[in-house]
Amino acid sequence: MTSQVNRCTVTTGFFVLGRCGRAAVAACGQCGRPVCAEHATGALCPECALAQGYAPQDPHDPAWVRGYRRRHYERSSQTYNDAYWYSSFDEYDRGAFNPGDEYSYGGGDFDDDGMDFVDS
Amino acid sequence: MRHRAAYLAFDRFPSSKGSAVHIAQMADELFGFFGGGLLGVLGGGDLPRYQREGDREVARFDARIPNLLDRAEAFSGWAADHLDPHLGTLEVVHVRDPWSALPAVTAPGRRHRVVYEVNGLPSIEMGHTWPWASPATLGKVRELERFCLERSDAVVVPSRVIGGAVRGLGVPEGKIHLVPNGADVPDRPARPEGAPERYLIYVGAFQPWQGLDVLMRAFARLADLDGLRLVVCGSVPERRAKPVRRLAERLGVAERVDWRFTLPHAEVAAWLAHAEVSVAPLTGCARNLDQGCAPLKVIESMAAGVPVVASDLPAVRELMADGEHGRLVPADRPAELARAVRILLEYPDEAAAMGGRARRRIEDGLTWARSRAGLSAVYRALYPASAAR
Ligand SMILES: [Zn+2]
Ligand SMILES: [Zn+2]
Repeated sequence: MTSQVNRCTVTTGFFVLGRCGRAAVAACGQCGRPVCAEHATGALCPECALAQGYAPQDPHDPAWVRGYRRRHYERSSQTYNDAYWYSSFDEYDRGAFNPGDEYSYGGGDFDDDGMDFVDS
Repeated sequence: MRHRAAYLAFDRFPSSKGSAVHIAQMADELFGFFGGGLLGVLGGGDLPRYQREGDREVARFDARIPNLLDRAEAFSGWAADHLDPHLGTLEVVHVRDPWSALPAVTAPGRRHRVVYEVNGLPSIEMGHTWPWASPATLGKVRELERFCLERSDAVVVPSRVIGGAVRGLGVPEGKIHLVPNGADVPDRPARPEGAPERYLIYVGAFQPWQGLDVLMRAFARLADLDGLRLVVCGSVPERRAKPVRRLAERLGVAERVDWRFTLPHAEVAAWLAHAEVSVAPLTGCARNLDQGCAPLKVIESMAAGVPVVASDLPAVRELMADGEHGRLVPADRPAELARAVRILLEYPDEAAAMGGRARRRIEDGLTWARSRAGLSAVYRALYPASAAR
């Protein structure tokens, strides 16, 4: 580390987000970001530490996404042993929801209070 | 950390949209009730994938999947994997849409209750935003909604109209709980920098059913009012305003319209507070009539003490009364909208009195504190033992 004080870059807040900004005392063992004493739990930053609690994922890989969906639907239809409800969307259904197909006003948001289909 | 509560939403959080305000309030109540919890939402951009705030964890799904259905289903799978480690301890999973509901209601060995908050029905909504969605496809979405609603323990709706739509899907009356949206009543904020002397305001997004075209046509009829401007505070990025801006140009009102995009919530409140009139020109389409809506912009305008001119729709009538808190006008009628605005501008004392009554109406009955108490009553009914709070 240089003599210059590094600042902790952990994101803080719930509705209004900010950066921690306290003086860093270590670097995350995984992503290398500077972390302060408060946020350095173990060798990892909070983001990397939390990610370890869940299955690793590579959502940028289309094969991962397909497999994910299939696994999930197989498992949940087994749970209910009910083929009817899982009226799986076919290619025809999916074809209506490609980017650019929404009305030109760019909708897809649920008014001021709903599901955000577009800004993902 | 193993959680007793989870809140799942196929929505970006936080964001400048009304949905984010709503999620913040509801999730805060849930996590307060159960001593923390997991929030599973959409991310992307600068938002971190994982975040811990005290006893709360935020996990964000940020896969870039262009097709909406593919994305929604991948989100379901992701959400299932995130519930997994907590299944032994979870007591309530609160969901907001069918894609977050599905993993919650089908979780293996499920012990938790599911609270399904319905702010809109994709089976209706998607037909209004995706022109190529066929009735058969929307029918499948409706089956998914039905499947999830049937297996939920409580259904929370923000308006009676939406409650009616949910009953229409076969949900028994006793399972439906009305928890209206709310607003915080702020002290009068300072005038925003660059605010025109006298302006009307529109707050929200730009979908066709918001009725911005009606507002622009009405505004064209007010061209004789010197110095009157229209401020549009868009809750979505600027590029989505293109068609509305083109229309404004064609109508010759473009030079009298000021645009602001994705302002932080507190700044929007300031813009509202200094407006002459806030306009909610929702169209009378099936989306607004059958499914209903619970326009936060109306509540937030009232909280700011601004008289509202809104379309006379059942969902709006639940919030405000004509002549009492502002004016209700027939939907899709620019001339009537313009006339109502003009009269309010001509009688500023009466307009101010309406704004004052609107504000008191929110203080007395539509605060977030009250909404949260309503939600907490739903949790308590599901878990009498957890009432130790
Ligand atoms: Zn890290
Ligand atoms: Zn820190």
